[in-house]
Amino acid sequence: MSQKQIRWAVGVLGALGVATVIVLHWMVFFWVPTESTMGVVQRIFYIHVPAWWIAFLGFGLVALCSAVYLWLGDERLDRAAVAGAEAGMIFTTIGLLTGPLWGRVAWGTWWEWEPRLTLALLLWFIYLGYFLVRRSTANPEQGKRLAAVVGVIGVLDIPLIHVSVTWLRSLHPEAVILSASNPMNLDPSMGATIGVGLLAFTLVFASLFLARYAVATYEHELDLRDATPAGTQGAEAG
Amino acid sequence: MRNYLRLVWAIARKDLLVEFRTHERLTAMGAFVVLIGILFNFSIDSALVRPQDIAAALIWMTIIFGGMLGLGRTFRLEQEDAALSGILQSPIPIAALYLGKVVGNFILLSVMVALVFVVFGAFFSLRFSGSPLTLVGVVALGVLGFVSLTTFFSAMATRSSMGESLLPVLVFPLLVPVVVYGTTATDRLFIGRPIAEVSGNLRMLAAFAILFTVACAWLFRFVIEE
Repeated sequence: MSQKQIRWAVGVLGALGVATVIVLHWMVFFWVPTESTMGVVQRIFYIHVPAWWIAFLGFGLVALCSAVYLWLGDERLDRAAVAGAEAGMIFTTIGLLTGPLWGRVAWGTWWEWEPRLTLALLLWFIYLGYFLVRRSTANPEQGKRLAAVVGVIGVLDIPLIHVSVTWLRSLHPEAVILSASNPMNLDPSMGATIGVGLLAFTLVFASLFLARYAVATYEHELDLRDATPAGTQGAEAG
Repeated sequence: MRNYLRLVWAIARKDLLVEFRTHERLTAMGAFVVLIGILFNFSIDSALVRPQDIAAALIWMTIIFGGMLGLGRTFRLEQEDAALSGILQSPIPIAALYLGKVVGNFILLSVMVALVFVVFGAFFSLRFSGSPLTLVGVVALGVLGFVSLTTFFSAMATRSSMGESLLPVLVFPLLVPVVVYGTTATDRLFIGRPIAEVSGNLRMLAAFAILFTVACAWLFRFVIEE
């Protein structure tokens, strides 16, 4: 995919994403019925749940691209990993901000040391480490390698999130949409709103991901240009 | 295999020998343990909270903070003397170098942990009524998981311009399972609960230690190579 094609895709996906986010908000505020148990505050789930799905998609990408980058050393995988990490971190932040807003009403407190919430916060910090390591080495190539290692080690924490949820008593509402015992037992309009939320956030994520990937490619080209002696550039130009 | 273990022990022995001659890390960790015990003592209002009730949490926090103090300097000597390139050029496998450092740090930290229990036992008049062997198992597995991660990230920190200040940001988020399972098991053993109640904790601590020791040994070459 050329840089021109990527720029075009960023524009199209971004415009579609923004349009779908507007539709999502209309559905959340005016279309979907109010949930009977939790009331109005449940509407935040249409933002919260898709945000977490995309956050985990982003971090999955980071882990996968980091592991393959360490294996093959292909620069494009490192760019994809950093793009996934930055975009994923934005959606993790949305998830971490919308969760307490719901919790304030449902649990009566802004923050509850509930395992999934806690480890989600920790995941955010693991990826903060990813960015710190990346920027704190004199040799950029080493920074990329160390960050990829943090990406791989970080994702090993995800099974521990699952295990700790099983072991510790959880206050977090049970998964409704992917419940194994009663799959997809949502009202159709709620399911549709969640689906639109997922689509909207996926489009925005894809646009941000490609935009960051393009920036990383430009940075790489600039680094190459800086590293090339002026005389060589002139010879190439001639 | 035997030769491999010999190489691992050679690295661990070298580190322990240097420590035995300089006492640098043990002195710092030992002083930290006693001083933090004193500070904890004055930070608890015993009219409201019984120190015995929160002893396990204080013990594990001291192990982690004290451990960070010593383990953060694992590669300092090699870094200062540029000896790391020498070690990397030697015919020792890189994973063996990491495992040697882990073994050395584990022995070092075991000494500190013993001191933690003695000091906290005396300062807070702790009475232990559980199975001592199980407690040793819980602490050993928790410390092994902690050491394997901190040794790994300590190498990463020496490669970074942020140095040791990077270590807590990298290590603390990953340590939560050790804190959760280590503290709850220690708590239960202190009050004499049956071993069956902590067998799950032991399994989780063992899984954590094995997972991160293996993963870090495999990934170590990406951290240590120039």
